[in-house]
Amino acid sequence: ELTKMTTLRAFTCDDLFKFNNINLDPLTETYGIPFYLQYLAHWPEYFIVAEAPGGELMGYIMGKAEGSVAREEWHGHVTALSVAPEFRRLGLAAKLMEMLEEISERKGGFFVDLFVRVSNQVAVNMYKQLGYSVYRTVIEYYSANNGEPDEDAYDMRKALSRDTEKKSIIPLPHPVRPEDIE
Amino acid sequence: MAARGHVQDPNDRRLRPIYDYLDNGNNKMAIQQADKLLKKHKDLHCAKVLKAIGLQRTGKQDEAFTLAQEVAVLEPTDDNSLQALTILYREMHRPELVTKLYEAAVRKVPTSEEYHSHLFMAYARVGEYKKMQQAGMALYKIVPKNPYYFWSVMSLVMQSISAQDEKLSQTMFLPLAERMVEKMVKEEKIEAEAEVQLYFMILERLGKYVEALEVVQGPLGEKLTSELQSRENKCMMMYRRLERWAECNALSCKLLLKNPDDWQFYLLYFDSLFHLIDQSWTPPQEGAHSAEGEVHASTAQALSFMEDRIATEEAKESKHLRGPYLARLELIRRLRERSCPEAQQLGEPLELMFQFFVKFGDKPCCITDLKIFLDLLTPDQHVQFINRLMEAVPLCAPGEDGVALPGDTRALQRHLCVTQLSRSLGQQHALNTEGKLGLIKELKAHYQHGLQFGKSCLKTELQFSDMYCLMAAHVYVDLWLETGESNMLWQCLGLLEEGLSNSSSNAQFKLLLLLLYCRLGAFEPVVDLYSSLDAKHVQHDTIGYLLTRYAESLGQFAAASQSCNFSLRFFHSNQKDTSEYIIQAYKYGAFEKIPEFIGFRNRLNHSLHFAQVRTERMLLDLFLEADISSPLEESVKSMSLCPEEDDIPWDSLRDNRDLTVLVSWDPKDRQLNEEHRQRSLEEDTLWLRLRSLTLRLIGCVSALSHPPASRNSEKTTENGVAAKPSSLQSLLSQLENTLNQATQFSEKQLQVRTVTDRLALSSGCCQCQLSSLQLPLHLQELEATGLGSLLHTSLYMLEKCKGDLLEVKDSHSMTQHFLLENLVYFVETVCIVLWVSNYCGSVLRPLKSSLQKKKKKKKEARNVDQSFSSLQSLLNQALEHIKSQELSLTALELGALSLEAEATFTKTAMDKVQSSYLRSLQEIGELLKKRADTLKSLKI
Repeated sequence: ELTKMTTLRAFTCDDLFKFNNINLDPLTETYGIPFYLQYLAHWPEYFIVAEAPGGELMGYIMGKAEGSVAREEWHGHVTALSVAPEFRRLGLAAKLMEMLEEISERKGGFFVDLFVRVSNQVAVNMYKQLGYSVYRTVIEYYSANNGEPDEDAYDMRKALSRDTEKKSIIPLPHPVRPEDIE
Repeated sequence: MAARGHVQDPNDRRLRPIYDYLDNGNNKMAIQQADKLLKKHKDLHCAKVLKAIGLQRTGKQDEAFTLAQEVAVLEPTDDNSLQALTILYREMHRPELVTKLYEAAVRKVPTSEEYHSHLFMAYARVGEYKKMQQAGMALYKIVPKNPYYFWSVMSLVMQSISAQDEKLSQTMFLPLAERMVEKMVKEEKIEAEAEVQLYFMILERLGKYVEALEVVQGPLGEKLTSELQSRENKCMMMYRRLERWAECNALSCKLLLKNPDDWQFYLLYFDSLFHLIDQSWTPPQEGAHSAEGEVHASTAQALSFMEDRIATEEAKESKHLRGPYLARLELIRRLRERSCPEAQQLGEPLELMFQFFVKFGDKPCCITDLKIFLDLLTPDQHVQFINRLMEAVPLCAPGEDGVALPGDTRALQRHLCVTQLSRSLGQQHALNTEGKLGLIKELKAHYQHGLQFGKSCLKTELQFSDMYCLMAAHVYVDLWLETGESNMLWQCLGLLEEGLSNSSSNAQFKLLLLLLYCRLGAFEPVVDLYSSLDAKHVQHDTIGYLLTRYAESLGQFAAASQSCNFSLRFFHSNQKDTSEYIIQAYKYGAFEKIPEFIGFRNRLNHSLHFAQVRTERMLLDLFLEADISSPLEESVKSMSLCPEEDDIPWDSLRDNRDLTVLVSWDPKDRQLNEEHRQRSLEEDTLWLRLRSLTLRLIGCVSALSHPPASRNSEKTTENGVAAKPSSLQSLLSQLENTLNQATQFSEKQLQVRTVTDRLALSSGCCQCQLSSLQLPLHLQELEATGLGSLLHTSLYMLEKCKGDLLEVKDSHSMTQHFLLENLVYFVETVCIVLWVSNYCGSVLRPLKSSLQKKKKKKKEARNVDQSFSSLQSLLNQALEHIKSQELSLTALELGALSLEAEATFTKTAMDKVQSSYLRSLQEIGELLKKRADTLKSLKI
């Protein structure tokens, strides 16, 4: 009876059997089962899927909350955000990001951050439009699989209301290596 | 590896190098170091366990286990030993031993929070719910922390979920869980959101929806903050269960005002509205309409609500939401279903859909949105509808070829959407051959023209006009199915290859190419296509069938093993992986995820595809190796194949295949529906049953020649022939029944379109495999004449393999790919016949000398010898056929085909098919040759 229920809802294990139209995209990683289960067990509220009226999955966001409160590093993190090709240009990614930010606000996070391939200009621009800025560059964060060179990532951030002075997003002057980030 | 204590203990220092060796994968050195340490410190138990881990990891399981037990019986209580043993037992896949370990530890150190907690988790890993409940409470008594108490509560819920007896679950486990939570509520000890979630879950499962609602709406509900709209969603769920339609309606209204794009609330709004109308609901005399505020209980109110939503959208400058417009169409549908004349007040669907198209036609999802409302149009409106939409597509003046093209990507997307809708309305299918060819030409023109917009696209992006190419391919497939002309298929493959060369990330091109190559019997190109999809993990279950369904039956054995392995590796890791996260869910209080994870684990364990690859992998190993690189009985033993055991959960098989992964714009009556899905599942299950029975019967044949010693000594027949295991008879009759069922099934299928077709059924291979497996039975009565008639059937089967796989006729190339599949099943059958013959030979050989006088048997032996030599000639004939096919394929000059200049991609496709056929023939030929060699040693 709930099959017609659509739009934004919590991601469940059964969605893993239906997300091919989203995950067959070359920039969307399909992780091992433990990875998804870890997020579902620890941060279920941060894993949201959008479903079309016809039942197709449109896109999803997967995130978590982490960092030390004392050091004002407690924040929301976007681990994965992907929208199927046919559901792009609808503002869905923005909506999902907005939800993740709202959840992070409620948890008292100082900022939200994410990593993105330096070459993924479409995504970088989208995040900039959503108010994110490059906090630092992480050298060779993405390992390549077919002989191509490893790729750098931008660590992009957006301050939340708790960070009144927006200290968390002051860009670092130098790039960092993956082993230097937490 | 695990943490190693907090304070620097001298033992820690001593053990450190061993840990390091183990961590670095240097197991040999770890063992040596442990031995050295044990010489000096005999009672350093942990060193023994670490050595055992080293042994386990170097494949010495038995030694490792013995050593570990030496420590385990001492019931250790030091962290190091306990943690090391836990790791070892987990690696041995013996999680139940961990529970024993910590049971002993808590007995010795009854106040240890840590050991009690480990014990709880150890029980969780093996699903011992009752013991978990007790362990949780024991823990709470030592350290009164809330999570421990609620672990115990959740264990009761799990007992109720797993209870076979629904009554026990409803009258004992759940009420007990409820009382435990109530106690905490009364004492005002509820702390965390997770505890409220669990309370809600218990009440819901008990059907106490009123109470559940009270919890959510009361002070406890204030704790539900993590998830967005958590309270609203839970309230809505309860209103529905309680059929409180007024509240349901009012809440949907409120949520829609907040987010007018959330489709689920439109559906709830309409559902509740019509329930209220049917109940002639009226608002109370005074006060609020409902606990959630204003209620809409008439069509008029709904119409005005919808109009308001639309007006709000219309007033916006940009970023219009699709929800309100689609909801209006949905309301029309529902009003029409109820024959409400008010439906007309909302407007004419054709016009509304046109307006929707004007607004959203340049979004790629427009087709998905409108597709579900196409049935609001009457058939005679279809042409008008498409024409009307075309008016809103800005195209340039037609060029030389008469095709009007779009000037930018937005116009392209609009035109594409109209084309997709036209296909969905069946207009393309209604065209005759000429019309379809014209359509293809037009689609190709649009495709080629659209490529200019995507010149700067990255490799990871799709081309704007890709979908035209895909649709042209679909029309080619339509033509191919209609006319049977293979040329259509070649053109289609060429077009898709061309599309892929322009848009190397397009998964839809790859998927369709993959399927079509398989339909042509060419598996070789499929390997690269599939690997470029980068399918991983769960995708091995959902789309892995595309690979494993075809690999073996098309004679690409090496690729077949590999594809089975991908899938098997995934399935095998599932059990261990999921247990770990069930435990995490307890730790983080994600209680509602626990039954979900368990359901997920079962869904994977019971996957149809898992059972298929498990069975096929074993069959394949036997066909390729048994009696070639090692004797049959050794192969059977090494894969621990036990004929008596059926390891397939037939009653709970889950079909996890993603059958909708290929895009389709076909009209509704041609789309994959639930019935197709059911039929395909039924067919695959029947096939799996045939294969699994065949596999187990091969195991029986092996057991006949080498019966377990104990059984052999007890029973011997008067003829000195080993007793048949009772399972042989029963499995044979099962196989016979299943074969009958399958034959009936496929006869029924002939009248309808089949999703997947198994040629082995029609070619008679299965029948022949059955007959050969029946031989050992007849041999009991010393009637080996069966072998003769079997050879006759085999010969007939070989005839079905003869013919040219690929040939050029009248400048067209034609395939007879079914010959390949027939050939594979022929070779499979040969394998089985040979195993059975080998057994017959082994039985008759001793009889020949010892029972010379019994003429009948002597004659029998001679007959068998004769049969063996005709078998030899049959194999030679088959080998010759394969050789000649290889030669003619190699000699075939596809370049001689007068292909048009633009058809280079078609040529590429043909080359791939040709190369694939050759490779299949080589693999099949090699296997058959090896089999023929084993026959030479067969003589009585």
